[in-house]
Amino acid sequence: MSYKCPVCIKVSNSAPDLARHMIGRGDKVHRDWVNSKGFKYSELLALQFKSFGGEGYKALAELLEKETKVKD
Amino acid sequence: MKQELKLTVNGQPYEVYVKPKTLLVQVLRDHLGLTGTKRGCSDSSCGACTVMLNGMAVKSCSILALQADGADIVTVEGLARGTELHPLQKAFLDHGAYQCGFCTSGMLMASRSLLEENPKPTKEQIKEGIDGNICRCTGYNSIIRAVTAVVKGEYKEEK
Amino acid sequence: MSSKYSVIGHRVHNVDGTEKVTGAARYTFDVVLPNMLYGKVLRSSHPHAKILKIDTSKAEKLIGVKAVVTGKDTPGHKQGIWRRFPELCDEEILCRKKVRYIGDPVAAVAAVDEDTAEEALDLIEVEYEPLPAVFDPLEAIKEDAPQIHDGVELNINVTRHIEWGDVDEAFKKCDHIREDQFKCPSQAHVCMETHDAVADFGYNGKLTVWTSSQSSYYIQRLFADMLDMSESDIRVMNRHTGGGFGSKFELDSAQFPAAILSMKLHRPVKIVLTREEEFIATKRRTPMYYYLKLGAKKDGTLLAKEARAITEGGAYTAMGATALYLTGFFSSFPYKYPNYRYDGYRVYTNTAPTSAMRGFGAPQSTFVGESQLDMMAEDLGIDPIEIRRKNGMTPDYVVPGQAFIQSCGLHQCLDKIEDHIKERGKLPPNHGIGIAAYGFMSGGIFNWFNTPYAFSAALVRINVDGKVDLYTGACDIGQGSNTTLSMICAEELGVRLEDVRIFSGDTGICPPDLGAWGSRETLMNGNAVKRAAADAKRQLLEFAAAKMGPNIVYDLDIKDRFVHLVDRPERGISYFDVVKEAIRGKDGNAIIGRGYYTPHRKGMISPAYSFGVQAAEVAVDTETGKYKLVNVTTAHESGTVINPVGIEGQLEGAIMMAGGYGFCEDQPMDEGKILNPSIADYKLIRSLDMPETEILEIDTYEPEGPFGAKEAGEGLTNPTAGAIGNAIYKAVGVRINDLPITPEKVLRALKEKQKKKK
Repeated sequence: MSYKCPVCIKVSNSAPDLARHMIGRGDKVHRDWVNSKGFKYSELLALQFKSFGGEGYKALAELLEKETKVKD
Repeated sequence: MKQELKLTVNGQPYEVYVKPKTLLVQVLRDHLGLTGTKRGCSDSSCGACTVMLNGMAVKSCSILALQADGADIVTVEGLARGTELHPLQKAFLDHGAYQCGFCTSGMLMASRSLLEENPKPTKEQIKEGIDGNICRCTGYNSIIRAVTAVVKGEYKEEK
Repeated sequence: MSSKYSVIGHRVHNVDGTEKVTGAARYTFDVVLPNMLYGKVLRSSHPHAKILKIDTSKAEKLIGVKAVVTGKDTPGHKQGIWRRFPELCDEEILCRKKVRYIGDPVAAVAAVDEDTAEEALDLIEVEYEPLPAVFDPLEAIKEDAPQIHDGVELNINVTRHIEWGDVDEAFKKCDHIREDQFKCPSQAHVCMETHDAVADFGYNGKLTVWTSSQSSYYIQRLFADMLDMSESDIRVMNRHTGGGFGSKFELDSAQFPAAILSMKLHRPVKIVLTREEEFIATKRRTPMYYYLKLGAKKDGTLLAKEARAITEGGAYTAMGATALYLTGFFSSFPYKYPNYRYDGYRVYTNTAPTSAMRGFGAPQSTFVGESQLDMMAEDLGIDPIEIRRKNGMTPDYVVPGQAFIQSCGLHQCLDKIEDHIKERGKLPPNHGIGIAAYGFMSGGIFNWFNTPYAFSAALVRINVDGKVDLYTGACDIGQGSNTTLSMICAEELGVRLEDVRIFSGDTGICPPDLGAWGSRETLMNGNAVKRAAADAKRQLLEFAAAKMGPNIVYDLDIKDRFVHLVDRPERGISYFDVVKEAIRGKDGNAIIGRGYYTPHRKGMISPAYSFGVQAAEVAVDTETGKYKLVNVTTAHESGTVINPVGIEGQLEGAIMMAGGYGFCEDQPMDEGKILNPSIADYKLIRSLDMPETEILEIDTYEPEGPFGAKEAGEGLTNPTAGAIGNAIYKAVGVRINDLPITPEKVLRALKEKQKKKK
């Protein structure tokens, strides 16, 4: 199973990893996509420094699980 | 508005005219061209401007020039005798007790003042003697080693 | 100290020594020129505001004032040292439309003396429209936070990512995982000589600048960009410099306004920043929030590390992007992580810009990493030395996709520190020894400045009397590069140290060098100097061979002013005789040797790395939380030691600065205003607080460096805060995760520990 990033060439083998990539990239195209799906990028980023366990990724990962999965 | 100021610096008598708020360090550096004495702060906390006034180490930025009227001042330029460096200067060279050098004249004058007062200080007393001088480069220990070497008599001339 | 070399490795007087101990050394602070004026800078009192109007008319009328300039008197460019990325060149210095931190310059005055210039500042009327300001990076990334720079959403200035392996998979295989958070504060450089400049613009259209600087070349190039001038019409001279530590290789608010004023008046203008301006308006160490996740097997093998840092960028990029990258890179040092990931974010805030300071992000990463590693060791029941031994880097290790480590003496350093701790024996109660290990670069390879020049270059000129002039752009800021480079030149050429005279840091006569940062001078400029000396020697030996007529199978060399056969060193002639005849043979031209160095194919970060382990012993007073730094012992390796007196000095000085970062230095702020901008209030380690220091030198040889040398001065600034934190834990069982470790924090932690026990 692969998860293809909707705005760049990155391919991950798990939704949480793709979520981490999108939050981690931090550039405008990734931020805009995340925000367009009803999230607030800045809140997800801030959570990275206020909590452990990557809660910020979990919600985004759930979305990516549905939207970006590609069968190999 | 300017007043006459007479003082001896490094054995030489001087006569200058200064405004009342002129600091001693400004007279030394700007009027007399003795730029060996430095300034590193505006609140008499760093010690870079240390000179000897009537035998005592003082921060020359904390004294109005006119307060030094009639005084006998020694600056770093007055440490060496002709071409012969002062034992402290030789010790500083041997121990690398300086790096950027900006605090060095203050350290030398504070050390000299300490040794005139107390020719055989302990290490702790040496540390106290230079506690008013900040050095950002050396970590102080090489300076303490240099002064200790002089105290031990390794530079046998007069201190 | 014995050395197999004639010059290097010996204890010598610093070549600038007699000047410095007699007060004869001239700093920019001492420069006085005929017809010179004195300048002062007016600065913003708002952390964030629009500039609506600046009225300088009253100031201009004050007797003794010769000119008042504002942003509109400049070509209106923005400086930035990241010249390959124009969007990161974001600092106007003299602000035109907006101010972004308390201290941001808006105007400058030139007058007959400092007092008049100061008085004139009060007469400049600036109309501001204050804007909402934001001071914390976690607040600045919110959607509703004020935008500090146009077009930069969420105030996210730069992001950096480093990754190898598969961290998520690896964490699944770990027996134990730790997650910890840390806060690293800012730190002020506190150079004894504040930022200063004397700028002299002549009627010939050329600019000469005396300034306290770490890189005359960068200042020259940045001036050219900011003033729309040709680089070669600008001469920057670095005289003796009273300290740099990372604060003096960007164009600052003494240099630029002085030049603008001088260009208007065609007279020299001198600006010296006050100590207060130094604290509030020069760049400072980058504060960082750090999140670390570390995974290991139960035998202590580290499998994965995930690091995240968000840094308080302050108002402008400055060197902050490099600090952001390097902190992530050095978060992987000095251990072999099969899987690693770092995400870094630099966020603009309305505070004084954060930039480079000795260590460049590595003191922060070393504090957080070494603290967590000790915690991991305790969780697993493994000795702190043992866990480092198990995972420590070794020679010829490759950091995947990033760097090649050639020489590495980390393990020998661990052994030495282990012995040292055993020797200290049983400690009194409330004493503890903590350790921290580090690795650091010898200069950076990343060429964000986009220089077309070789990174280092040198010229050696042998004169008819055999004395040697060495020209190099390297800047001596107190770290002793003048001495180290002179020693390398003398050793290579075969003369004595006193035969060499160095001219450094003057763009008018010296070949360019990137300057003193990232601990690069010894390795990079040392290589250039060695090559230049070798070139001159080769030319000289051509004449020597002709004169001596040896069998062609024999080689000639020069040692201690004697030109001799390598195989029969007693057979030879005086170097001085050869020089005279060589110059006559060259139709009267002095012999000139040229050398340069740029690292090629050495990875992305640095051509060589130095390593070390430091042990700090503290004694804690559990009643007050106060503690004393008793002893700091460092085992380190820096390849061949060129200048032993210099290295000892750099190590002890580093302990004072790095120890200060852990022990007491801090810049508390209120709404963007630094609350302690004076030496009286900014706590530094003074002589009474300085611990006993001991240096244990490990012998290594770095093939990339001149005679095997590599860096020493900056790497040693990395471990002390971490060692202190670990020592306090060993002493009294409390862990402080945010620096500096003040008595209040220790006391609070002790009290909480007591409560938990009950």
